[in-house]
Amino acid sequence: MKSVICYINQFFAGIGGEDKADYEPEVRQGVVGPTGAINMGLKAHDAQVSYTVVCGDNFMSTHRDEAIERILKELEGKEFDLFIAGPAFQAGRYGVACGEIGKAVQAKFGVPVITSMHVENPGVEMFKKEMYIMKGSHSAASMKHDADMMVALAGKLLKGEELEGPDAEGYYQRGIRHQVWRKDGVNCADRAVDMLIAKATGKPFTSELIIPKKDLVPIAPALKDLSKAKIALATTGGIVPVDNPDRIQSASATRWGKYDISDMDRLEGGVFKTIHAGFDPAAANADPNVIMPVDVMKEFLKEGKIGAIHKYFYSTVGTGTTQGEAKRMAKEIIPLLKEDNVDAVIMVST
Amino acid sequence: MKLELGNFYVKDIVFGNETKYENGILIVNKEDCLNFVKRDPHITEADLRIVKPGDMVRLVPVKEAVECRVKLNGDALFPGYTGPLSQAGCGRTHCLKGMSLLAVGRHWGGFQDGLIDMGGEGAKYTYYSQLNNLVLVADTDEEFEKREQQKKNRAIREAVHKLAEYIGKCVKDLEPEELESYELEPVIKRADATEKLPSVVYVMQPQSQMEEMGYNDLCYGWDCNHMLPTFMNPNEILDGAMVSGSFMPCSSKWSTYDFQNAPVIKRLYKEHGKTLNFLGVIMSNLNVALDQKERSALFVARIAKDLGADAAIVAEEGYGNPDADFTGCIVALEEAGVKTVGLTNECTGRDGKSDPLVSMDEKEDAIVSCGNVSELIELPPMPEVIGELESLGRDGLSGGWSGDEILGPSVRPDGSIIMENNAMFCGDQVIGWSTKTMKEF
Repeated sequence: MKSVICYINQFFAGIGGEDKADYEPEVRQGVVGPTGAINMGLKAHDAQVSYTVVCGDNFMSTHRDEAIERILKELEGKEFDLFIAGPAFQAGRYGVACGEIGKAVQAKFGVPVITSMHVENPGVEMFKKEMYIMKGSHSAASMKHDADMMVALAGKLLKGEELEGPDAEGYYQRGIRHQVWRKDGVNCADRAVDMLIAKATGKPFTSELIIPKKDLVPIAPALKDLSKAKIALATTGGIVPVDNPDRIQSASATRWGKYDISDMDRLEGGVFKTIHAGFDPAAANADPNVIMPVDVMKEFLKEGKIGAIHKYFYSTVGTGTTQGEAKRMAKEIIPLLKEDNVDAVIMVST
Repeated sequence: MKLELGNFYVKDIVFGNETKYENGILIVNKEDCLNFVKRDPHITEADLRIVKPGDMVRLVPVKEAVECRVKLNGDALFPGYTGPLSQAGCGRTHCLKGMSLLAVGRHWGGFQDGLIDMGGEGAKYTYYSQLNNLVLVADTDEEFEKREQQKKNRAIREAVHKLAEYIGKCVKDLEPEELESYELEPVIKRADATEKLPSVVYVMQPQSQMEEMGYNDLCYGWDCNHMLPTFMNPNEILDGAMVSGSFMPCSSKWSTYDFQNAPVIKRLYKEHGKTLNFLGVIMSNLNVALDQKERSALFVARIAKDLGADAAIVAEEGYGNPDADFTGCIVALEEAGVKTVGLTNECTGRDGKSDPLVSMDEKEDAIVSCGNVSELIELPPMPEVIGELESLGRDGLSGGWSGDEILGPSVRPDGSIIMENNAMFCGDQVIGWSTKTMKEF
């Protein structure tokens, strides 16, 4: 018998409405309120609700860290295979609470998490990449429908069955794409020509890659006075000391390094090189400044064109590196730049 | 221009005293073939092996695959490269089908080289596990690149390009079991009924990103980095005009065998005169500088428009930086009023969460997707390895690594491996074989 732990708010636990929304978290054995319906459904999948976590929506939103910490501590040592939060319908604070606790439980205990929200619940946008959020109904009148959907997915996950994807299973797209072999064995040449004939003759077709909406970063405002600005240098061109001390990978990088340039006027070939595997390295190895322009920047500094240069330059390799990894690396580097009051960064791509 | 491909179906390959084809069996005189290969003094060590579907054998580093063929009129199999320039795509060519000639490094691999498992769960990742393969395993004296991650692999690749023709000669005077015929009428002299159908071009973007010669795909022996997009007869591609190069993570590559058998061309021929009017191929390229990318896109769209194309398929031999050429070309075609389908693989990361292409545009509304280059693959040890297993982690293969804090090395002491799909030999099969697609989870 598999074990599932549920999460609901104070309202669905029957404790009270807005006046009881400060209710502090507690973990009760067995079912509470609507988790009874979930428990009934789970029986068909040889599973049961072992505990129900109850927490006031206000308490979760105003004491988020404390609430999560207390709940995680209570769940320690309890054996469970899956976590179900909600359904939260269109209730915004409840939806966000389900997302917050679901994310924390998934990270700490490594179990899959299912919740359910109406499309207009802000929790959908915030957490759909983190967990399975079922496309839920508007209001609690559809409690049984939404609970049944969560139970259906829970059954598949508990049995380790292959999922049919977000549309077939009824959860929001998580933006997670992996390769699979088509069951019908139709090759891509035939698929492309079939799609071409359909598109050329105005018949319907389904693209295998829906282009996501652009994640654009706004252009930063211009520096007011370059002669007073502190500038940092960064690159995805793989310039590193010749022994590559941080062992940055030549492709699909997950590592970055920072290298002190305060005592040098330029990067010397033979002292620095590129480890980037996506372009011809000859020019960069002979003169690393063509990628990391330390020479020109130091001249600008002497001429007073710029105010200061940050002590280090930052380097990783861009080829094959995923956007997710690139974002993480940037988030690790940015605090170091802020700490040194860097005004602007020259980001050299290759 | 009419091309006849005379097919001989190789059901088995064996070694014998004379290289000949008899009753579906290719008999190979190993010593004679090796002597032929060693005419190039840069080949320092060479062996021939035979591997078949289901054999529990792992091949790595695989550098190239070619189909063994011969032109009956005596022209070079790869004109302008293995012999003098001549017109490819016409006359008759005899082909040994169901098999490929593979080039494997005896020791050293590189960024562009790949892996093939002939049997077991790893076999599904490459097309070549389904074929009988004659394998040239060789080492060379190319010391200048031995420890380089980027290798031209000149000697060993050229060895199989030439050996393919040398072996192909054994069916020159035999009657083929099947004759395929490919002929397109001149573009402006076609039947009315054909002209009423949607007119279609196939835009190929072969790999040409290296500025130094010796790494890129060749078109009649000409480095594709040095060419502007041009209009080609599809028969030329099927008949040796294109030779694969030695750059790009391996799963995104098109081998010479892939060009010789281009499935999209064959399917478009099947539809020609029935559902569409196949105008031909626009051979473009993939470049590193933005103006080069823009120039190629401009040329492709203009040629398509001048030919009267209503629709196009664009396929790229690469990912990452080449996605910009791919997207740029599709956008240029769509803006010229040509309805376009894109054929590509994706790079969504090991966790599947990253953007699928580095350059995307909402005009790309019809994409066929062939796989995720960064999918993590774990495979058990193989009883036999041809080549050198260590090369996967040691030599900078695009899908291998020497060490990783969490995953450990790509090659483990017991011979099991963990790698990215990137290093599967021509694994994403964007040329047309791929039965993979991408799915939301």
